Amino acid sequence: MADCEKLLAILEEKFGAKRDLADKWGFTVLVERENLHALMLFLRDDQSAKFDVLLDIVGVDYLGFKDYEGPRFAVEYVLKTMKAPVRRMRVKVLVSETDCKVPSIADLYAIANWQEREVFDQYGVVFEGHPDLRRLLNHAEFEGHPLRKDYPAHKRQWLSTNDYLLPELEARLESKGYKIVARSKEVMPNDDEYLEGSRKV
Amino acid sequence: MIVINPNGEQQALMPLNVGPSHPATHGCLRYMAAMDGETIVACETEIGYLHRGFEKMAERGTWQQVLPYTDRLNYCSAIMNNIAYCRAVEEMLGIEIPERTKVIRVIVNELSRMADHCICVAAAAQDLGSTTGFFYLFDSREKTMVIWEKLTGARLTNSYSRIGGLYRDLYNGFEEDVLDVCNTAERNLKDVHACFDRNRIFLDRTTNVGVISPERAISYGWTGPCLRATGVASDLRKDEPYYDYETYDWNVVVGTKGDVYDRLMVRLAEIEESIKIVRQALKRLKPGPIDIVDPRIRVPAHALAYQDMEALIGRFKSVYEGIRVPKGEHYCGSETANGELGFTLISDGSGKPWRIKVRPPCLTQFAAYQELVEGSMLADSMATLSSINIIAGELDR
Repeated sequence: MADCEKLLAILEEKFGAKRDLADKWGFTVLVERENLHALMLFLRDDQSAKFDVLLDIVGVDYLGFKDYEGPRFAVEYVLKTMKAPVRRMRVKVLVSETDCKVPSIADLYAIANWQEREVFDQYGVVFEGHPDLRRLLNHAEFEGHPLRKDYPAHKRQWLSTNDYLLPELEARLESKGYKIVARSKEVMPNDDEYLEGSRKV
Repeated sequence: MIVINPNGEQQALMPLNVGPSHPATHGCLRYMAAMDGETIVACETEIGYLHRGFEKMAERGTWQQVLPYTDRLNYCSAIMNNIAYCRAVEEMLGIEIPERTKVIRVIVNELSRMADHCICVAAAAQDLGSTTGFFYLFDSREKTMVIWEKLTGARLTNSYSRIGGLYRDLYNGFEEDVLDVCNTAERNLKDVHACFDRNRIFLDRTTNVGVISPERAISYGWTGPCLRATGVASDLRKDEPYYDYETYDWNVVVGTKGDVYDRLMVRLAEIEESIKIVRQALKRLKPGPIDIVDPRIRVPAHALAYQDMEALIGRFKSVYEGIRVPKGEHYCGSETANGELGFTLISDGSGKPWRIKVRPPCLTQFAAYQELVEGSMLADSMATLSSINIIAGELDR
């Protein structure tokens, strides 16, 4: 715990982070989203922290949470290291419903790309600066964000087509230095493939 | 599609869709590959075909009712998920489980790990065309399944662990059955190694295929055998021991190159280490209680409910209202067969979880898949896929 206190003092001074008392079993800090990217960069690279593994990004919806006052959403980052005395740590950012945005850290950790896509998918939190913010688990035609507390669990939606992965593949090719000249005729989107009632993406 | 490649030459690439239903995709996965002949130039993956809304459903029941859902995460080693979940809740409740339960949990954990690794390597062997290796490995796995049948009444979705204890005690003859599995597994491992170790076809298909560097693997958040195959000795059972894992005599297995061959061989070697742990744990098995005595957390025995007023109340309250987990937020990760399975639990102090987030180990591995296969042959992408052991139940939740 002494190591946590030491790290907390540094984070408090540099990034205005506070300890989150909801985590009584581990070590969680609360930070404003303006400082999030800098804080994560510090935690990843500084000698006193060295959190090189980003285990998870967790979205939370506090709508209707008992005795809770504050922004509706939270995004939590679960970190781990093998190299420093504080082995595990979580970073929490509170996000309001009206301004549902968090800076992306996909440039710091490779896995953040997918994990941020998942939080966006389930909660509708927008990660600013994310290279390719699409849904991850739910279907491309899905409407709404299912893990929000006001999304009814038994609501049904009519989803018919497959994800059309070609634009993403072309973007991937372009990021590798290829230039697309022409797309083959066979894979051009075809209106007949959409079933009746489906939303075209 | 017609492209101009980085050297400025015009080239025709073929977009090839693989999956979601394909015998080699181990569940429902899909990827789109841009092929230059048989070489994958670029690859884009898609998941979510088995998304059943685990986390949404978990918020609707009591803390205990989440347990059967956890079976359906990594269904090849369901008991490990049960135990990982129970351990996370028990940490929040601040309870210490009885000694006997700890030992039993270690035994069933390691047996599950063996079974899971067997399936992974067996499926990989099958994908590479080796049916013999497949059957050698499935033999020992089948014997574990017979133990699960006797112990829990189910083969795949066992729900064996409970918050604060276990569903039931061991049956008579459990020890002999487990020793029998250990002996069979050891014998089969010899045969498997005889099949693969100096097999030219197997070596050509697996060495230097799907290579990842330790730095990249860490950046992708890899854990478990796939990370260890790159040479990083990271195992929660050693690093942050629980259930007295530090008192058992066993080694962390690491690879050197992080290719398909290393990932499969690390798993085979881990089966041997698990056998070691199981053998030692069996010697520690002493008679004693398996449940904690606290009617607010672990329901009193069914027989007591008809004789004892307190037990009746305890059963009623914990079944209808759920156990009261202290208000707060907690993350707890356990070493499962695929890597670190983590649960972020948020409780508002009532009998129902407010939020349960699962950190599935194979999501991180599949996120790196496109990097692993780009530049290699299409057939190698299948070998790579089976070596990272994607279990769609846990990937998509």
